Amino acid sequence: MQASPLDLAQVLKEEGYLIDEESATTLFLSLALEKPCLIEGPAGVGKTQLALALARVEKRKLIRLQCYEGLDLNKALYDWNYAKQLLRLQLAKTEEWNEIKTDLFSEEFLLTRPLLESIVSPEPVLLLIDELDKSDEEFESFLLELLAERQVTIPELGTIVAKTSPIVILTSNNTRDFSDALRRRCIHIYLTYPTLEREISILRSQAPELSDRLTKDVCEFVAKVRKLPLQKLPSVSETIDFARALNTLQRETLNYGNLMGTLSILLKYPKDIAKLEERLKKWEMEALQRR
Amino acid sequence: MGDGGTPAPMNGWNYIRLVYALRRVSVSISSEDMLDAQVCLDRFPNIPDKQILKSLFIRRPQDLTIFETIWRILYDTQEAVQDDVEEGTAIAVLDEDQDSFGIGGQGVGHGSGGISLTSKGHCLDTSHITELVPFARLEELTSSGLEFEEVVKTILAEMDYYTWINTYDLAYLRNELSEESWYQHQDSRNSLIREIRQQVFAAQVSQENSWEPLARQHWLVKPLSTLSVEEKDLVKSSIRKWARKLALRPGSRWKTSHRGLIDIARVIQQSVQCDGSIFQLSYRQRIPRASELVVICDVSNSMAAFVEFLIHIVTCLRARFRKIRVFFFIDSVWDVSDFVWDDDLCAVKQEIKSWGRKASSGFSDYGAVFKELAEDQLRDLSSRATLVILGDGKNNYRPAQEEYIAHISSKVRNVFWLNPLDSQEWNESDNMMKEYQKHCSKVYRCRTARDLQKIVKDIF
Repeated sequence: MQASPLDLAQVLKEEGYLIDEESATTLFLSLALEKPCLIEGPAGVGKTQLALALARVEKRKLIRLQCYEGLDLNKALYDWNYAKQLLRLQLAKTEEWNEIKTDLFSEEFLLTRPLLESIVSPEPVLLLIDELDKSDEEFESFLLELLAERQVTIPELGTIVAKTSPIVILTSNNTRDFSDALRRRCIHIYLTYPTLEREISILRSQAPELSDRLTKDVCEFVAKVRKLPLQKLPSVSETIDFARALNTLQRETLNYGNLMGTLSILLKYPKDIAKLEERLKKWEMEALQRR
Repeated sequence: MGDGGTPAPMNGWNYIRLVYALRRVSVSISSEDMLDAQVCLDRFPNIPDKQILKSLFIRRPQDLTIFETIWRILYDTQEAVQDDVEEGTAIAVLDEDQDSFGIGGQGVGHGSGGISLTSKGHCLDTSHITELVPFARLEELTSSGLEFEEVVKTILAEMDYYTWINTYDLAYLRNELSEESWYQHQDSRNSLIREIRQQVFAAQVSQENSWEPLARQHWLVKPLSTLSVEEKDLVKSSIRKWARKLALRPGSRWKTSHRGLIDIARVIQQSVQCDGSIFQLSYRQRIPRASELVVICDVSNSMAAFVEFLIHIVTCLRARFRKIRVFFFIDSVWDVSDFVWDDDLCAVKQEIKSWGRKASSGFSDYGAVFKELAEDQLRDLSSRATLVILGDGKNNYRPAQEEYIAHISSKVRNVFWLNPLDSQEWNESDNMMKEYQKHCSKVYRCRTARDLQKIVKDIF
């Protein structure tokens, strides 16, 4: 573990992730207290990337559970290998039932899913439970034991305690709120869109082929776009794609009148693109007046 | 412990006071949280106390503002604020003398002798924003017993805030203000209001010697009409959460009815566990659908804020009903059912604002509305329909014509009335709730998000 939040920010930077001081402090405290960290924020601000960078920094194996509606224990924690159990029964027709019944529900017939895998793993792991807000509330309740005690209970086998304490990172896009019980067990980070200066630094590190002028122009433009009342604001990854697209088209600067065809890289809804196109005319006029 | 940049050192007493204050304003802090914070404060003296406590105690983004307010009240001493203000007023007045021309040149007034924003340009210096707020006047208003929002509005008015924003709104509309300057101006507005609100909180807490003023401003218990944009989003997000729960709740009428569709995948899965034999069938959980929902909303000015939330509830719950009809009214009724199917509700908001084109006067007339409904719409309603009325019952001294609501009530299954006024106001002279109430299955107060939560649970 790093000695201070600044050290943590520095090693994350070396792994290509730029984090602000406040978030670095919160993440540092969650690591120090060995508590799960719940990262919330709009899509595309780097929540998952933070977990991936942290796994590299801590040199831990990453185990990722992608959540979705209908995710249940059989897919997240464990399942019994029914086909194998049937084969075992076929082979054991002459044996005593009392011997077989305990054997049938042993680890040999257990299929481990990501959560159980993170618990039984002999090497240190980072468990990323991605987009938890997409799962059902029942699943959220089930996670409480894992988050608080670092253990899970399988009725046929009993309680299994983590061999090495995993770092647990949960991410959410805020499509629904979580219970107090879940929040209480986590340390909370709210990531939002980066400041202009930080976005310029991110773009410089992620797309070093861009000229300084284009990098600055793109970041200023995106910061302006984020102030519009759009259905979905451009994310950091979309900023990077947009800047790369302009670079591919050999644009050295960003010109408001010359963006048609590239806006769909930045915005994903036709309504939003139409709104932005309307504003571009105004911005272009303002830019001309300034000159 | 580290001093964390706070004027008062974070000793045990200060720590307990902070935890107590946060708990009073509904931020949940357990003993384990306190222990964790204590461990971190001891272990990491180089990290500011405020940062540690904020990281460990705040688990919802919406609680950050309240944490900042409490921190400021507890640790930024009153004397320091006052000194700054006195010093700052002098600076601000000096600034005013030096440059007193804003864009548009309108409304250069000076309120009641304090600082006028009209001379400050479109963008305020956020580092000196504290100094703009007339602290002595604010304390005077607070001690006069005015409500929180009233104090904020009075201070803003005395600072010529409304003239100031109007000037820049007009300048923007006339293209005299660039988009960038417009956004800077918006940021200044928000910073100023945030600052005034924080100072009014501090004054009220000091005046009442209790955290009650902060607790009263929690988004769940605040009147829906006074919510900020962020708080409105929170309420809407909560409504979606409640609606989601309801969408999964099986209704009582299915318990003794058909068992629903067989869940083939689950049956096969279970049979494999039992060596291929089928012992029992599994069924898909069925979501009940009520027959018909009819919503009628008073959209006069005093009611508009509440209508938006009710329509949001109806939109979220539309899948639960076979048929939904929504009417708006003031002194006559118009059908807006088509707008409820649009998720972003822009059209509904536009329709709420457009009442001037639909109503002959701006004053509600419940009697005329019930008559129109009974005569023109009732024959199209199912006898199993649920009617929800949103209105304050203020009939502007017009005849109640309660026979029409009685007739409607006898033809539908349930009539629920949601009223944003407190129940003691239902007995005021121009309020007809006492006449209409007896024809309703139930009347609810619908003033805050907490009221809405109860209504969603009970009615839907």
